[in-house]
Amino acid sequence: MKPGLIPPLDAAPLPGPVWLFQVLLVLTFFLHLVFMNLTLGGTLMAAISRLLSGGREGDHRTVLTSRLMRVNSYGIALTITTGIAPLLFIQVLYQQYFYTATILLGWIWFAFLVMLVVGYYAAYVFKLRFDRAPGKSTLGTLWLFLSALLFLLIAAVHVAVNLIHAQPGKWAAIETSPWSILGDPAYFPRLLHFVLAGFAFSGVVMAWWAVRRAAAGHEVELNGKLARSAWRWALWATVAQIVDGVVLLLVLPRHVLLGLMRGGAATMVPLTLAILLAIGLLMMLSRVTDPVRQRGTVTGTLAALALTIAVMAITRDQVRDLYLAAARAKFELMTAPQWGTFALFAVLLVAGLATVAYLVKRVLSSPATGSEAA
Amino acid sequence: MGYPIWDIAMGGSVLMAVVAVAHVIVAHFAVGGGLVIAVTETLAFRRNDGELRQLAKRSSLMLILVSTVFGAVSGVGIWVVAGLVAPAAISALIHNYVWGWAIEWVFFFVEIVCAIVYYDTWGKISKRAHLFVGWLYFVAAYLSLVIINGIITFMLTPGKWLSTHAFWDGFFNPTYFPSLLLRTGIAAIMASVFMVFPALKAAMAVRGHLLRYLGWWLVAGVLVSYGGYRWWEAVLPAEIKGLFLGASPALRQLATTRHFLLWALAATLVLGVLLLAVPRLARVVPAVVLMIAGFAFFAGFEWVREGVRKPFLIHDYMFSNGLLVSDIGAINDEGLLARAGWAAHDADDDPLSRGRQVFRAECSSCHTIDGYQGIRRLLPPDPDMTFGVLSTLSEMGDAYGELAPGQRIDMSSLDYPFMPPFVGSDEELEELAQYLNSLAASGGRLAEKGAGQ
Repeated sequence: MKPGLIPPLDAAPLPGPVWLFQVLLVLTFFLHLVFMNLTLGGTLMAAISRLLSGGREGDHRTVLTSRLMRVNSYGIALTITTGIAPLLFIQVLYQQYFYTATILLGWIWFAFLVMLVVGYYAAYVFKLRFDRAPGKSTLGTLWLFLSALLFLLIAAVHVAVNLIHAQPGKWAAIETSPWSILGDPAYFPRLLHFVLAGFAFSGVVMAWWAVRRAAAGHEVELNGKLARSAWRWALWATVAQIVDGVVLLLVLPRHVLLGLMRGGAATMVPLTLAILLAIGLLMMLSRVTDPVRQRGTVTGTLAALALTIAVMAITRDQVRDLYLAAARAKFELMTAPQWGTFALFAVLLVAGLATVAYLVKRVLSSPATGSEAA
Repeated sequence: MGYPIWDIAMGGSVLMAVVAVAHVIVAHFAVGGGLVIAVTETLAFRRNDGELRQLAKRSSLMLILVSTVFGAVSGVGIWVVAGLVAPAAISALIHNYVWGWAIEWVFFFVEIVCAIVYYDTWGKISKRAHLFVGWLYFVAAYLSLVIINGIITFMLTPGKWLSTHAFWDGFFNPTYFPSLLLRTGIAAIMASVFMVFPALKAAMAVRGHLLRYLGWWLVAGVLVSYGGYRWWEAVLPAEIKGLFLGASPALRQLATTRHFLLWALAATLVLGVLLLAVPRLARVVPAVVLMIAGFAFFAGFEWVREGVRKPFLIHDYMFSNGLLVSDIGAINDEGLLARAGWAAHDADDDPLSRGRQVFRAECSSCHTIDGYQGIRRLLPPDPDMTFGVLSTLSEMGDAYGELAPGQRIDMSSLDYPFMPPFVGSDEELEELAQYLNSLAASGGRLAEKGAGQ
């Protein structure tokens, strides 16, 4: 008799309870999403803004591009760094499914590494060579579009891996043709979901930044224009997101949708909260006509958006488990917690975050004096 | 063995080597560069030396571009490639050392934040605050090496872990401290050979001063590396050491690589002394030669380290093809294709097809057909001998299977000490022999094509 296609569990037990890894996976994935939204949505937004402004000096869209790429030159590093932790925890929890999905994609999966390096360097080329030389924009705009296109392709690869690993029933067909995953009804709505979230988050962050600059008296008119422009990105992306969100729910396999609905408070609270937050966000976004004068709402919208991402990360994790429920029922995960090393990790995590907080505080409170500013 | 098999013409091990070597070079620069840059800025501060400060500043841009971009992505790349070519192996490592990796991630996160802040705040914050950021970067980067070194050395010398399966028993294994010393020296070498390039951008009048300064770092790195390497060799178990000292005729290549890496280190030392003595000779081409010498030593060491681990991925626990030592008996009883779901799925009923799938599941992690470690050219001329070799490999499995947990095998007693044993039923052994002989025969290529997947 031939064995099934789901590989056996690892011989070694999990070095901690499942719930702990799940909490860490969702938590670190949320952190990753925050930076990823800026990388994906921000770079796309920067490229389009640069195209529209033609790189004209003083144009608020040129400034928007410049600010987005300044943030992203570091934001991309943090996207990668914060992506490492969920990549680690997904390998612990979903090893059989995750590795299988990546192997079925083979070079397509490997290619994301190459695209990431090229996309990252392209962003740096723009920042170091073209950003400070407005006007000569065509080549600079091309570098930006290259970077944005590569990040979009990376997102497309990740969406494919995620859909494949959650559906062992499709593996045999994927082995024959990896591209058949594009025919999954959830594929494009899911990809669009990430792109739109990226636009919304980047738009609100840029508006928030511009509002703060304007409030401090820096280039009030320019920052006002920039804030309104970034706000429109966020507003229209959220309108589209609500339509896409409904589509995304409707194309879920029936057992997954029913599982969500019948999962009781555990699934319905995050899902309902996510829907309410999305509607609330739309209302907040549409109420603001002049972000500079409505600073409180801008800050509130940013907080609500971050909360929405966190709740969505929970729902996303639950959807994955519902997809995999039948397959995972055949395996019994053994655990042998290494509490001592986990405690060391927890202590070091807190210490690490405290160190970063102290670092930021010290840097902000130690401006260079005259002779040092060289 | 239950995973799908990624057919990659160049060989999965080659791709892994390319990504891993590129990563370790950059990762060690990230650590060593942290130390050298922090010391350089400190000296610049104390001596009020503007040129040293410029060297630290230019090097910090290099650190950002090389380390936070390529270093981070290639680090993820090791997981990605391992998951593609050896999923069971990386899964076993992660199951045992997930908290180790999680701790390393914390240090890496702090390291990246510090690198960004350090580069972005030159001249914007007080010098003392900037120095603080630089030193914090180095501490975080070095601590990430302290952690990852435990996982890397565990794979070669798991020590007491084999019987206890306890985290720290595997972590502080026999080669942990020698390897840490060696890698500390390597980090200093990598920092020096990279930072020569920003130093060359300085005006001619001060270039000698900067290059001589880096020469001291380079010589110190070479000496520390040499001490660490010798210590590392000394603590290796005799049967592992024997492999690269030429005990196995089939592994002479490893002995050659060992000579090569030591000569490369000697060449790096000579170039370092030249840098100290006549820094004015340094130009771009000599700097590239220096860099190649440093890389050659490091890559040579990594090659030897990986080579002497053969045939294991985790010594005495898991073979390089993902086979657990403890599974040998069960797979021999049940048959390989009863366990390897994807290979069984891709197999037709004819023996050649089944033999090909046995090859893919059991051999393709090291052997391609015609590329790296190409099996076709390794086959014996006499088809009967193929069966004989496989039978010998199968008998090796019996020898491994008789070991008690934690007991080590006498490698010199094995005919093919660098290969995992053959596991599977008698029929599968015959089918594999038939498939391999079909490759060797004139119609071999046709048989390969006709066998489907």
